[in-house]
Amino acid sequence: MVSGLKEKVGEVLLPGDEFCFEAEDTISLTEQVKPEKVVCGPGLRRSGDRLLVCKSGVLRHKQPNTFWIDSQQRRYVPVKGESVVGIVTAKSGDVFKVDFGGSEQASLSYLAFEGATKRNRPNVQVGDLVFAQFLIANKDMEPELVCIDGSGRANGMGVLAGGGLLFRVSLGLVRRLLAPHSKIESDLKQLFPCELVVGMNGRVWVHSCSVQQTLIIANLLQSCDTMTAAQRRELFRRVQQGVL
Amino acid sequence: MFKAIMLYCSRSKEGDKLCSVEDCNPGTGVYLRHGYIYSSLAGYVLRKNEGEELPVISVVRETEAQLLPDVGAIVTCKVTSINPRFAKVHILYVGSTPLKDRFRGTIRKEDVRATEKDKVETYKSFRPGDIVLAKVISLGDVQSNYLLTTAENELGVVVAHSEAGAQMVPISWCEMQCPRTQSKEFRKVARVQPEYLQA
Repeated sequence: MVSGLKEKVGEVLLPGDEFCFEAEDTISLTEQVKPEKVVCGPGLRRSGDRLLVCKSGVLRHKQPNTFWIDSQQRRYVPVKGESVVGIVTAKSGDVFKVDFGGSEQASLSYLAFEGATKRNRPNVQVGDLVFAQFLIANKDMEPELVCIDGSGRANGMGVLAGGGLLFRVSLGLVRRLLAPHSKIESDLKQLFPCELVVGMNGRVWVHSCSVQQTLIIANLLQSCDTMTAAQRRELFRRVQQGVL
Repeated sequence: MFKAIMLYCSRSKEGDKLCSVEDCNPGTGVYLRHGYIYSSLAGYVLRKNEGEELPVISVVRETEAQLLPDVGAIVTCKVTSINPRFAKVHILYVGSTPLKDRFRGTIRKEDVRATEKDKVETYKSFRPGDIVLAKVISLGDVQSNYLLTTAENELGVVVAHSEAGAQMVPISWCEMQCPRTQSKEFRKVARVQPEYLQA
């Protein structure tokens, strides 16, 4: 079955496609039979002795034996541990309500900031942007965000202040930006110095030296979503030369 | 048995004077005042003859008595919603008798387990739709629900369905496995005594 999966890497699969455990026609008596282990990522699900595809997308493979479906999705589904950019919509008692683009709003306790105590409240107003990560995110409970990590440090999270622009991109572009050795990120670094906060919910916050540069970066990121690598490099090169 | 003993069954409303203390002994649903027996519920009057003693008069809401969960009773309930602090349940059975109405209960986070109470995560103990065996610790006030606990080995989740929809098999006191997808999920599993398990 691993060979069957490896053949389809890079192909577009649809929900309902399945991979069966095929018994070999001839079993070798001399060689040791090694059990094949396959790690299923998002989009693949095991059902009995078959592997079912649940989402439509491209099958990807990572050594040694991890397979997953790379799919495009507009709606963000919260997952524990992911960092997102949210907008504070309400303050009720000790808890802020944050809109992160999901099906319901998440709660953010005022004690979940670095250095926050009952007397020392954080300076968060309604309408502020926060960069936080999910503490609780499942389909049965209201999602909960925190702006500190396990050891109590902010680690870059908290209120995003000082101007800047928040815009939306697709979830696929966000994953490409946050991948290690991301080419988009390295190309962008050569353009202008800027502060970039990428949330897994498809929201990106950019802050650069001038308003014009901020807008240029925002437009570039939104447009290079549907471009190939070559087109994107061409576009960045033209911007660098100052044509656009 | 009721029909053989009861003489008549008539309707009464709250405050109705039923009879005097010399005629009957008071039972449930009635109260004594100035030597007369008054009804305290709106329902049916039952008069039970118990041999040589005076008959017992009582007022019940329905002709069959309802079994109410009492403190210390083992109840079977179904989880309706979970919260980081507690889980809300509907009580379905008291012991082995089914209830006509569904009573509401709450299982607080600190009542889920007997050990390591502060490290309990409700999401890893119960999920909506699980059938849970619990014990009543408090009847609660007018507004609050029954307070339940699962802090014993024999209490906890009995039947649970996995995310794929199949009924899961318990593999330890804190994990259950789905037979279709082989994925494990966390629950606070009850250790049911072997004589109660049906093959």
